[in-house]
Amino acid sequence: MPDKKTILRVAEILIDELKLEDITPETFNPDLDLVDELGIDSMDLTTVVLVLQDEYGITIDEEDYPKLSNVTLIAEYIEEKLKEK
Amino acid sequence: MNVKHAKTIAAKKNEDGNKIKFSDIIKDPAIRERWEKVRKFFFLRESTYDMTNRCNIRCDGCYYYEGEKQFAKENGTPEQWRSLVKSERERGITYVVLAGAEPSLVPRLCQVCFEEIPLGCIASNGFKRIPESVGYKIHISVWGNDETSLRVRNAKHLLEKQIRNYAGDPRAVFVYTFTRENINEIYDIMEVLSKQDGKITFNTFSAPVGYTGKLRHDRQSLSLTRKTMMDILIKYPDNVLFSPYNVVAHTHSSSLHELYGCSYPRMNPSTDIGLGRSFRQYRTDLSWDRSASCCVPDTDCADCRHYAAGSAVVTARLYRHATDAESFKAWLDYVDTYLAVWVMGYEKGESLLDHMTPPPEFAL
Repeated sequence: MPDKKTILRVAEILIDELKLEDITPETFNPDLDLVDELGIDSMDLTTVVLVLQDEYGITIDEEDYPKLSNVTLIAEYIEEKLKEK
Repeated sequence: MNVKHAKTIAAKKNEDGNKIKFSDIIKDPAIRERWEKVRKFFFLRESTYDMTNRCNIRCDGCYYYEGEKQFAKENGTPEQWRSLVKSERERGITYVVLAGAEPSLVPRLCQVCFEEIPLGCIASNGFKRIPESVGYKIHISVWGNDETSLRVRNAKHLLEKQIRNYAGDPRAVFVYTFTRENINEIYDIMEVLSKQDGKITFNTFSAPVGYTGKLRHDRQSLSLTRKTMMDILIKYPDNVLFSPYNVVAHTHSSSLHELYGCSYPRMNPSTDIGLGRSFRQYRTDLSWDRSASCCVPDTDCADCRHYAAGSAVVTARLYRHATDAESFKAWLDYVDTYLAVWVMGYEKGESLLDHMTPPPEFAL
């Protein structure tokens, strides 16, 4: 399970970049499917990826995008990448 | 996302040897402004629809009259179309492209589509005017001067008729298709069209599967097309909706698929996210087939430089262009052009790059 701080920060980036209203990092369901339930598309996801890369100093390959389907999985992915650094 | 063609793009570094950050790229006010302008349209999700299997002209190299789709039974029932487009809206489609064979022959069906999904475009030969109540962009195909049109499309005084139907119409964008044979004829077209203050964008002839005719490009004709497009861009900046990066993408010796990895279902097995998940290409009987779905079905992917394909394929490659300011400016110019060509009311800004730059990981 990823660190809560990472989860909250990922949720905050998603909220900011996708301009989501009436939701805070604390109320964002980290297991919500971003494509099926939130309805984000590839361009939105790419935008979030670019911001995450900057924030954490990691590289996220295009082929890994399908793994990033919810906040928990994104946070886990980031923590794995940080361990590899 | 197109997993099959996903690429790892080498990170570019700044003068200090550090990886260039996206946040640094968009610190430039001009880039930031254009980025904010175009990203408002990331909600667009398209599908395409063949409206009728009839056409009032017959053109050499027409993609519609290739393959199986031309034999689909025509469904002309407005209520069935309304039901289809409603269901499309419900599954998240926000943009429709009404294409084959000639949508102007079924204006009632176009109207029904517009009433259900108000953003879209109609590909037409411009012979017959589409009623103003259908507020979509209208792309009017031009394949050379009148002499060439008569020979290749069997259509007399086509440009004259197209202009008569659409002069001053904010919906209209003329689409000039450069074939191997008509490259210099663009000058004749521009002379006429610029006097009417018409808007034009460029297409590159992309051969249907198995086509070996005279219109198919070779390296030499692509090179001449590139020079000519750049020349016209400079000479007619107020009329041409294109950018230097559009020129590169659509005249490169490699196809769009080779350069960017096509994201349409026909070439993209992934259904995770993006076009591979949402895009459908409906035939006139309202059926669709994932394995054949792309914006120009039955085009030879190895020869595809089609403007409609690039509008999705290049646009989808944001990640690959967000490596440095020059590449990102090129991508922004491309997306800005795409939106001006396809979305009613969207105005193209001045291109951020005044010169050509290569696609990611390729030479010019």
